[in-house]
Amino acid sequence: MDRGIIALGAALAIAIAAGAAALAIGLASGKAFEASARQPEISGKIQALLLTAIVFIEATAIYALVVSLLLIFAY
Amino acid sequence: MRSMFVRQAVLSFWPRFWSAFKEDMLEEIRIGDIGFEIEHAIAPRILFRWPLGPFEFMISDAVVVSWIMLAVIFVLAWLMGRKRDMIPQTGRQLISENLVDILLKLCQNAGMSYEQAETVVPFVGTIGIFITLTNLSSLFKIPPPAKNPAFPIILALLTVAYVIAISIHFVGLRGFWSSLIYPKALLLPFKLLDFVIKPISLSLRLFGNVFGAFILMEFIYIIIPVLIPGVIGLWFDLADGILQGVIFTYLSVTYIGEIVEGAHEAAHARQERLQAHTAAKKA
Repeated sequence: MDRGIIALGAALAIAIAAGAAALAIGLASGKAFEASARQPEISGKIQALLLTAIVFIEATAIYALVVSLLLIFAY
Repeated sequence: MRSMFVRQAVLSFWPRFWSAFKEDMLEEIRIGDIGFEIEHAIAPRILFRWPLGPFEFMISDAVVVSWIMLAVIFVLAWLMGRKRDMIPQTGRQLISENLVDILLKLCQNAGMSYEQAETVVPFVGTIGIFITLTNLSSLFKIPPPAKNPAFPIILALLTVAYVIAISIHFVGLRGFWSSLIYPKALLLPFKLLDFVIKPISLSLRLFGNVFGAFILMEFIYIIIPVLIPGVIGLWFDLADGILQGVIFTYLSVTYIGEIVEGAHEAAHARQERLQAHTAAKKA
């Protein structure tokens, strides 16, 4: 198999997922900051929720990273 | 005749010198086969082999590093727990008490009572400290055990088994079942599927983060061995390692809290329904 095509596939896999995850984390934290500016008294709760959400968003990017690492090292 | 020979030698000296110098410098800078070097770095090193009949008993570097870290945890725990007082007199007692306090608060925020939190904290805190310390081993250029997929997978399986066992211990089999079918019985397959996805998600998160950081750091060590790895390692070795330990702890506490809270809400809803039923009967 052509190694160049594999490298391109791995790069595309992680690039698209990382871009989408960055967008999602930006959206989520922006909304969380807005909410805690509006209601500062529950900012602790919002922070905990934000952490959970970010962990789950990050997981998708990590899956893509694992897939691209597999593409590079398993082929 | 002779002067011409000398002149020729002097004239040809510099070109030859420069070509030799250039070759030497290129030899210094040339970065071999990066892929090969990284592949060599990520391959698990088998330190001992014992043939046991048809099988082979192997001890890789990950096992040895985790043993070393266990010894470090033992020593640290002994040091932190020495000479305790009712009122903390020493810094180390203050630090350890604060650590336990943070974990207790985390459990209580996730929806557990104080007694339940006290039951959960020893296991969860041990796993968190263990993962954090093993990840920090990459600071000393020792490959972290979590780059070996077996390590995160077994930790995640252990954690999810503990989550199921301890929540059954807390709310009983009946409560566990009612937390599975709480809002609607239709959700049961998805909630069961969740117990398959949880270990995969936990282990892949830890493995992917540590493995990716390890490869990146190896790459940086190969191309720029001076100064830069120290700066970039502050994030990839120090902060990311601690963050992964914290996230692992946080998620396992959240999983337990989810089930406990779900069981409570289900019991509450059932009681309310029962009361409404009796009230309707009376009327």
